Amino acid sequence: MGLPLRLVTLGLLVASCAGTMPEPAIRFEEIARKAGLNFELRNGAKGQFNQIELMGGGVAVLDYNNDGCMDIFFTNGAEIPSLRKTGPEFHNRLFRNNCDMTFTDVTEEAGLAGEGYSMAVAAADFDNDGFTDIFVAGVHRNFLYRNLGNGHFADITQKAGLGGSRLGNPWSISAGWIDYDNDGWLDLFISNYVVWDAANELRCGTPEQQFYCHPDVYTGLPGQLLHNNRDGTFTDVSRQSGIGRYVGKGMGVAFADIDGDGFTDIFVANDSSRNFLFHNQGNGTFREIALEAGVALRDDGKAIAGMGADLRDFDNDGRPDLVESGMINDSFQLFRNLGPGRGFADYGLRTGLLLATRQLTGWGLGIYDFDNDGWKDIFFALAHFTELGKFIGRDSALPNRVFRNVDGTRFEDVSAGAGPAFQLAGLHRGVAFADFDNDGRMDAVVTQLNGPAKLFHNVTAGGAHWLAVQLHGTRSNRQGLGATVHVRLADGRDLYNHATTAVGYGSSSEPLVRFGLGVNRKAEKLEIRWPGGATQEIADVAADRIVQVTEETKR
Amino acid sequence: MKWARIAVAYLICAMCARSQPQWRESPGYRAYQRGNTLFIAKKFPESEAAIDEALRLDPKLVPALTLKAKLAMASNRFDMARGSLEQALAVDPNSGYAEFLYGMEAYVTSDLRLALPRFEKARQLSPADPRVALYLGFTSEALGHTDKAMSYYEEAVRLEQSASAPQAATFLAGSRLLLLMGRQEDCGRWIAQALKVEPGSRDGHFELARLLLIKGEAAKAVREGETALVLHGGDATDAQIHYLLIRAYRDSGSPAQATRHADILRLLDAKAPR
Repeated sequence: MGLPLRLVTLGLLVASCAGTMPEPAIRFEEIARKAGLNFELRNGAKGQFNQIELMGGGVAVLDYNNDGCMDIFFTNGAEIPSLRKTGPEFHNRLFRNNCDMTFTDVTEEAGLAGEGYSMAVAAADFDNDGFTDIFVAGVHRNFLYRNLGNGHFADITQKAGLGGSRLGNPWSISAGWIDYDNDGWLDLFISNYVVWDAANELRCGTPEQQFYCHPDVYTGLPGQLLHNNRDGTFTDVSRQSGIGRYVGKGMGVAFADIDGDGFTDIFVANDSSRNFLFHNQGNGTFREIALEAGVALRDDGKAIAGMGADLRDFDNDGRPDLVESGMINDSFQLFRNLGPGRGFADYGLRTGLLLATRQLTGWGLGIYDFDNDGWKDIFFALAHFTELGKFIGRDSALPNRVFRNVDGTRFEDVSAGAGPAFQLAGLHRGVAFADFDNDGRMDAVVTQLNGPAKLFHNVTAGGAHWLAVQLHGTRSNRQGLGATVHVRLADGRDLYNHATTAVGYGSSSEPLVRFGLGVNRKAEKLEIRWPGGATQEIADVAADRIVQVTEETKR
Repeated sequence: MKWARIAVAYLICAMCARSQPQWRESPGYRAYQRGNTLFIAKKFPESEAAIDEALRLDPKLVPALTLKAKLAMASNRFDMARGSLEQALAVDPNSGYAEFLYGMEAYVTSDLRLALPRFEKARQLSPADPRVALYLGFTSEALGHTDKAMSYYEEAVRLEQSASAPQAATFLAGSRLLLLMGRQEDCGRWIAQALKVEPGSRDGHFELARLLLIKGEAAKAVREGETALVLHGGDATDAQIHYLLIRAYRDSGSPAQATRHADILRLLDAKAPR
């Protein structure tokens, strides 16, 4: 025995830790009630099987008062058939984060109770005044609320020219803010679903067993693109941009620069018809390339009931990949971006996501690194369609699921270890993501139909390091939406993400760009590529903080 | 509820009930036979009239009741189908065929919860009927019971082979599930079996092309996809095959061909009712 026993033992212990230490489980505590987040989504259903009752539930995370703590805005339904918010139970709600993981309902003082049957929300600073504004999409009526910076919002829908469109007043189901022409002002993309009105609702099933009609029986609608005129008004450019030519049954939208050409592209998940991928050609027009890119349909060429979507880089190769949720027996789709001109490859099968999600129906979703290990995971808000439970002999309510990204090669369902409250089923719909307590771990707020919203506080152990980047555009839009951020770590890894608030289904997440750094205490390099292509680098950025980055004015 | 839609087609073109000898003495039997012949010829109104005649002569004629149910299902009159089958099963609770159709009625109306026990009962009554095993496989698969579904597909294949009547469609049902399960080698074997049974199977060549594309053999996928496209019959639509060819050509370095198929698919899409 040449070595002292003490050293041998120590060596064994270290080796043991390095070799077999399990990854800390992604874990959430549900704290909505404790946090004072008392919101119930009401869909106004009265047994008439109106299609709009199935949808809705969009939720936004925004820092409306710039106090550094993310607040929450919920959309809500209305009475049917009047589509009026006949009582406070139908009001949209804004909850201020008190910066101590409690929330206060400030809807009334903010002036955001709303009108009509609300579905979705998109939050961003469209007028570059430093305060985040709110667009609410709904059934036949959309609203734009300007944040006045004093705790109040003003309804500027009519003044902004958003009171109607050449489509009449469509049923809008998702929306997102995007600076498609890189002019430094955020434009608005609206995803419209189908032609619908309460008076002429279709009836399906039999008199004794009625159910919600399949989307196939409704006429689809094109999306809309509204150009920001920089003066508080918008111009509908759907036709000239090419967007308006494509009729679908639009659900969730996701934005990213898929080919690195400096212009943000648009993905639209369509319900039971092929998806759209609008490639931004940089001249104000888009080319629909979902078929060529291989993201239009499922691998077998069938359309899925597309619901939520997110475009983010799951394998750290610098290219945003696509995840789309669907309905039971669709399987959720994962498309890996192969690079410019090469399209996307179906990676659902080889990453295990396809089979693992086959029995699920998903709505909102988000690709975030919940355990900060440097690999982005996926959170799905789940529920089967109401009434479907009768046909499959199971409840329509489902628990949500979280899938851990294992080294960018496969996804492992780690929901069972995500905490007892995570196992509770619900008719979940929208989900928005933010770090509500600024501890570096991504939390999630989830709506559920005719039930209380859930606030999943991320309590994942392990102390992995993290970095968040808050962008301040000067030439670009104020929040830097559309910018891509590249982080180089000391362990040789490169991580990529981009700034967008359009995440999932009908919902809007925080604009910060986040990274899990694993054991790395700093980023060796932080590179920001602003919309339009200007780049900016920062060296040696310490971990575990929000880095404020203001766009340099010179190119 | 998509899984249910494919089944109606099976109903119309497939499977005639084998009449039991005891019904041949029935006063309605000749009218039933006429109705069945007309059904096979897809002359549905004429078939329905003949069946009504058969049932007027003998309201308890089980083959006529099951044929009436098939006609009703073919025209989406599921209440009528259910009623006829319940009558048939009241007369002959041991009719495996009526029980199978009773399961089909639930299956095509997406009620998997009801379909499963009905198919299970049909299997007890007709253990040698491969159709029952096949639909038990479909139902189990749709309910997420993957391993069970696979064992039913294997059983269906065994039963068909023992009756010397293997069906390409049964092998392909299994191959699709094997592909989903990540068992690519087994999937390839099942597709090969399907193509051995029916070398001109459009679905068989399409499934082979899918497998090849997933395995990264894009050039071979192109060949199989193009073969499928010129074949007729089966479930795979032109649109499905064009979508496969877009990706196969793209991956094999022929973007112009990929664009061509995308353009064709867009044209097909534009013609489709919305």
